[in-house]
This record gives sequence, structure tokens and C-alpha cells, in this order.
Amino acid sequence: MRLFWLKIGLMVSYLVAGTLSALALDGAMLIVNPGVVTDSLSAKELKDIYTAKTKYWDDGQAIIIVVIPDKTDAALEQASGMDGNQFKTFWERLAFSGRGSEPERAGDTAALVAFVASTKGAIALVPADAALAGVKQIKIK
Amino acid sequence: MLLASPVALMVCRLQAADLNLLGTNMPPLDFHGFVSQGFLATTKYNYLGNDTKDGSFQFTEAGLNVSMNPLPRTRIEAQGFLYDVGESGKYQPFLDYASIEYTFNDYLGLRGGRIRRPQGIYNDIQDVDLARTYVLLPQGIYDARSRDFSVSLDGGEVFGNLPLSNAGALSYEAYAGYINVGTDSGVADRINNSLPVGKVTSFDPMLIAGSQLWWNTPVDGLRFGTAFGYGFNFDYNLNLPTGYPPPDPSSVSLHASSHITLQQYSAEYLWENWTFQAEYYNIQNNQHTTSPAGTTPSFVVNYAWYAAAAYRFNKWLEVGGYYTEYYADQPMTFGSDTSQKDAALSFRFDPKPWWVIKLEGHYIRGTALLDDNADNPVRNDNGWFMLMLKTTVSF
Repeated sequence: MRLFWLKIGLMVSYLVAGTLSALALDGAMLIVNPGVVTDSLSAKELKDIYTAKTKYWDDGQAIIIVVIPDKTDAALEQASGMDGNQFKTFWERLAFSGRGSEPERAGDTAALVAFVASTKGAIALVPADAALAGVKQIKIK
Repeated sequence: MLLASPVALMVCRLQAADLNLLGTNMPPLDFHGFVSQGFLATTKYNYLGNDTKDGSFQFTEAGLNVSMNPLPRTRIEAQGFLYDVGESGKYQPFLDYASIEYTFNDYLGLRGGRIRRPQGIYNDIQDVDLARTYVLLPQGIYDARSRDFSVSLDGGEVFGNLPLSNAGALSYEAYAGYINVGTDSGVADRINNSLPVGKVTSFDPMLIAGSQLWWNTPVDGLRFGTAFGYGFNFDYNLNLPTGYPPPDPSSVSLHASSHITLQQYSAEYLWENWTFQAEYYNIQNNQHTTSPAGTTPSFVVNYAWYAAAAYRFNKWLEVGGYYTEYYADQPMTFGSDTSQKDAALSFRFDPKPWWVIKLEGHYIRGTALLDDNADNPVRNDNGWFMLMLKTTVSF
């Protein structure tokens, strides 16, 4: 019996530890509109944004998530804990029940960077080799 | 006439739009919408419509919503909606939700106006086809004909998300308000069909209060929920003809008054390409019916549960299935069963991010949810089948 509970404890520890490990964004960078007041985010803060638990920046500006399908899927999954389809469905549920706004979709990397540069409160994951102009890169603490 | 065929859906698709009004400083408006058109065919009984044995296209939903953030931490949102499911909806557009919310911080926000009522995984999105694997949700919990009773209310709610350190987080919504049901609603149809003669003549607005709690565990994708609701006064008036033969105008008026208690328990786990879900639902109706002869009490408990699993093979194909059972204390209509069991297998295709096609089959035993009297004069518990096809475009 003691062995059983030891195994359960180890399993829970493994699961919890897995959620607390440092976040690596495979092949991607995190950028925001220059007007966003923060310069860095923790992995938990980023996840709270991508899972709609945090909807506003500290100054009250609405957070607008921008995505580029297919090009940053791995990083999106690391940031949100959901794959691309789960992420899309999650936000559609919020949008059509009056509880949130769907992430904006960009057609390509240049359009995504331009959208973030011109949209207050915007945040996005972009490919690591993207040319950045008019946006602020955010560090993951 | 069909509201929309797949061809029309393709033609009318629009891009999601942010509208800046005439160069003013007004915040942009964010528009989204969808149109769904389904086809269903059944063996043996007519279900969710009066002609499904011949195949029916009476399975349409469409929504258009708009939102904006006019001030810091403030959001306004509204959605117009129409639907047609069997005898319910009839393509009449209505204001589905229209609310304003203020978010103090991650822990506390307020939302008021006409809001969608949270209950379980699907209640507030039960008519949003693109946000799930299945065409038809388990009908013992999410009855497509009763959406005007179950989905929205006029009132307010508090909401928020409370971190629990290494134990994950607790998200909550607590609401109170009024549900306004019309005599042309699916609920009215259901009551009318439960009567040998007569019909509902009016409903009082029902005051309801409740909550939805979700424990988002530290394990990514795993959450457990519990919902509770209490309807203080589900009151309506009935008129029953007493004269015979029919031209005799004699009738008697009855008043029914109920206290309704709702409970729902949910579990959901998104694990790699799998989605696992299970829910249990219980509704108790404590009713007193007053007629010139006196008052008759009744207490009815109905419950349902389901377990579902879906696997996404790639970006364009997901396959899922569920098994559900529904039990009623007493037959809803003369001759029907007190249970209905349904095994469903569904294929969801996503040819484009904005286009979904679904094919779904059901094997059903029991007739407890066949509340359309004239369409199903003879019933037994032999198994029967239902085939569904549905497509949705969104922007």
C-alpha cells in the first residue's frame, strides 16, 4: 500500500514539475506593440494570456493576440498548453459565448509584424528569423 | 426553403473585420460570425423535427457578433442569432447576448446585460457547431430544442480566475437574472406535447441564479467543473378545453409553478491529440399545478450522463464518439419510454480554417426524448438510427 502511494506521489510530482519547468519557445520570438508597458513575462504570465485568464495589460489596455497559422505551432503549444486546433477551438468557444475576442490571424510573417506594430496591446509569436520593425521583443523570465 | 446551402455558405463567407469608424478615435469593432446548415435522417421515428424519417434540412444556425473595448478594462459585446431546429426557432432573428463587462483584475470581473448562462462544458456554446467535434451534443443535457430556455438570461454575473499556486487555478462565474420564454419556444412545444389537449398561454419571467466553477489542474489540459442553478419560479398558465364536441368553447385555466434545481459535474482532458470528456446532469422540478379543483403537487427528477473521446489525426480530420444515457422519472408523453440511450460516431473535416464539415451516425434505444406527439404516434424501445451531415463556415 505504501508503495502505491509513493508511486502516486511521484506521478503527481512529475506532472506538477512538468508545468513549472522553464519555457522554451521553439523557433519563435515573442513580440508586442511598442506601447505595451512590460518588457518581460514569466511562463505562467504568458500562459495566462494565451488561455484568456489575463485579458488586459497592467495599464488596462486590452490584450490582442495575433497568430500566424502553421509557422509557430510548436511555440504556441508551449505557450498555451494547447495544440493549434485546440487553441482555435478554445478561443472560438469564448468568442461565440460573449467571453472574449478570437485571436487575429495574419497571412504571413511580414503582415503579422506590421499588425503588431500598428495595433495597441497586440502580442504575437513570430518565427525566430523574422525581420522586426516597429515592435518590441519580450523576454521570457 | 433552406436558409443556406453549402454553396451559399461558400459564397457569403467574409473576412473577419476590424472596423475603424470614419477615421475617428473610436476603438475598432471586431466582427465574427458563422452559418451552419445540417441534414438529418432517422429510421423509425421523427426526431428533432416532424419529417426526419424522410430526411430534413431543418437544422440551421447562424450568428453574427461584434465587440469592442471602448475604455480600459471595459468590453462591450453583442450577438444576433437565428436558428431552426424542427419546430423550434423558425429562423426568427433575436438578440442572443448583449453585455458590458469590466475586469478589475484577473481575479474579479463584472458582466451585465443579456448574457449566456454558463453550465458545464457546452451550455453557453451549445449552438456553435464549429467549437466542437460533434454535430449533436448529448440531448439529455443539451437539448437543441430548448436553447431559448437554457442558453441566455437577462441579468449579471461575476467572474474571475483564482490561482492556487502549484494546485493550478480555480475559475468561477456566478450569475443571476431572468429567463424569458415565449409561447412559441421549444419549451412551450414540449409542454404542449405532454398534454392530451390544450396549450400554454403565457410564461412568467423566471428568476434564476447559479454558478459554474472550474478547477484547472496543474496538469495541462485537465479540468474538473461543477455547476449549480436554481430557478425560483418557472411559472406558466395553461388553457385546457373541456367542452365536447370541439366547437364547444368551454375550457379551464391552470397555473403551474415550479422550483427547478440544476446540477452538473464535468471533466475534460486534452491530452496530445486526444480530447476526453464526461458529464453528469440532474434536474429536479418541484411543481404545483393549480386548477379550480385545487392544487396538485409533483416532484420529478430527470438525469443524464455521457462519456466522450475524440482523436485528431491531422489538421483536417478528427474522429470522435460518445455514449450517453437519459432517464426521466415519468414518461414525457403517453406511450414513450423513460429512458433514451445514444451511441454516436462523428467525423469532423476541416478543409479550411474557416470551413467545417461533419458526418455523424447515431444508434439510439428508447424514446424518452421524442416529445413530438403527432409525429411519433407509435413508440417502443427498439433501436433506431440517425444520420447527420452538417457544414459550417465562419469568419
